[in-house]
Amino acid sequence: MSYLELKNVKKSFGAINALQGVDFQIGAGEAVGLMGDNGAGKSTLMKIIAGNVQPTSGQIFVDGEDTVFASPLDARKLGIEIVYQDLALCDNLTAAANVFLGRELQAGFGQFHKLSHAAMNRRAAELFAELKSETRPHDLVEQMSGGQRQAVALARTRLSDPKLVLLDEPTAAISVRQVAEVLARIAQLRDTGHAVILVSHRMGDVFEVCDRVAVLRRGRKIADKPIGDTSLEEVTGLITGALEEA
Amino acid sequence: MLSDKRISILIDNMIWVILMVVFTFFVFQSEHFLTERNISNILTAAAVLGVLVIGQTFVLISGNFDLSTESTLGLAALMGLWLIVPAGAPTFGGGVFLNPYLSIAATLATGAAIGYVIGVLITFGRMHNFIVTLAVLLIIRGFMLAFSEGAPVNGFNNPDAEVFYWLGHQTAFVLPGLGKITVAVVATGLLFLIGHFILKHHRFGRELYAIGGNRDAAEAMGINTERRIRQVYMISGLLAALAGWMLAGRVVSIQSNLGEGFIFTVFAGAVIGGVSLQGGRGTMLGALGGVLLLSTIDRGLNLMHVSVFWVKVIQGLIILIAMFLDAQRARLSELNLSKAIEKSKESG
Repeated sequence: MSYLELKNVKKSFGAINALQGVDFQIGAGEAVGLMGDNGAGKSTLMKIIAGNVQPTSGQIFVDGEDTVFASPLDARKLGIEIVYQDLALCDNLTAAANVFLGRELQAGFGQFHKLSHAAMNRRAAELFAELKSETRPHDLVEQMSGGQRQAVALARTRLSDPKLVLLDEPTAAISVRQVAEVLARIAQLRDTGHAVILVSHRMGDVFEVCDRVAVLRRGRKIADKPIGDTSLEEVTGLITGALEEA
Repeated sequence: MLSDKRISILIDNMIWVILMVVFTFFVFQSEHFLTERNISNILTAAAVLGVLVIGQTFVLISGNFDLSTESTLGLAALMGLWLIVPAGAPTFGGGVFLNPYLSIAATLATGAAIGYVIGVLITFGRMHNFIVTLAVLLIIRGFMLAFSEGAPVNGFNNPDAEVFYWLGHQTAFVLPGLGKITVAVVATGLLFLIGHFILKHHRFGRELYAIGGNRDAAEAMGINTERRIRQVYMISGLLAALAGWMLAGRVVSIQSNLGEGFIFTVFAGAVIGGVSLQGGRGTMLGALGGVLLLSTIDRGLNLMHVSVFWVKVIQGLIILIAMFLDAQRARLSELNLSKAIEKSKESG
């Protein structure tokens, strides 16, 4: 059974129909590349799955249950984590504060709680070590390199053991060496039974780590097939419109 | 050569160095400066400003600002006393004879309600915070003038009003070297401590920094940013009303223009203490330093018999210095970011 299933999902922003009835599904241990030109609806679809945006119509099933995400917290509770294209970091906060933003560790009693700075710093340091990053929990994000910022965003997805990880253009703003590390991380997630959706303009990345590729054009899904059954040329044709569908 | 990080730390804590230098300067300028009476005066004068600055610090850190607090302060003082004292000439009273404790409660609730309305207009109404708070400032000020027709309200020889005056008037205890410590000073000190705890050790404070730093990111992480913004305006309104109650005890007779022009000093206190107008930066302890500095300068110049005209010039210069420091902090942040990006490209 699929972990996540979308049925006839539509999303309009005023007169603009960003998504026009998209069906999509993904199961555990599967990595799917989501491709499309700018404005194809990729980011909107990701935001709907992550709970940032509510669909105009359509259904979302998680583990077979019809679900409504009122906020990103609802999606997280069901094991869906996302790394945003802009990484969604607060430059004025430390790495650890960013990792735990919205789900800070607290200590206290009754209604009285205080942040557990030491516990959050300790856990963040462990996560950075697992990611083989030199990022230090106390450092401000504004003083970090692109790779370190990426590590902070990735560390968030490891706070819990997610079932589905969404990555929106994770390799767009980092060095070649760091791209290899991110792709290795995606492969590791997939191989350990996690579902992964990778949005990327870099076709090589998608063909390297994904099992399946789905292509969106003008708010419609025009292809969804195993990587082995398609080619770079075919996907390019689908994205540009040279091919209608596959 | 100092690193950018050290320069940043130095700028952030510069307020305490400046305070010490200014304090020492006045000690040598006036023999009356280092007296118990003067220190007590500095602290008492800092109390009202401090309460307003605490509220403004919350608002500024969330990336907003509140111009309306000076008129909320005036309205709270006027309304609180009006509810207690008799009607008619020679002073302006309501003749409601409300229990003073209820009057205080009504005053604080009104301040919080004004703040909440501002928050609703900004979040639900999608209106700019500058315009909304400026409009509320004018509406309240105009309402006070129209309502009182410019007449003052005071509570001379009224035992109920004494209760109202208690917060700003009463001495809590006497400390050797510092003189009389008023209840207002103790209350403000406690509020600074609570504010510091909230900003540094509570999730609410952490969320305000996140909203001020990157509101989109805060929303993406599931923080209800609009709710938080309504809450900070409510806190700001509540504290402005508390400051009004406090000030009433010092001025006794309340005019409809009470607090006019105060807002510039409030912003100067917060910003010179390291709270950024860009949002997301600053500490409550830094803001406390800013308040103490302004109060020290005010009293010091007074003791040096500097003309009130020059005092205005000096206050203007202080605001400029505060803005300069704020701009330098913002420049350093941008510099850090671009250096990090460059470093990242080179390592690739």
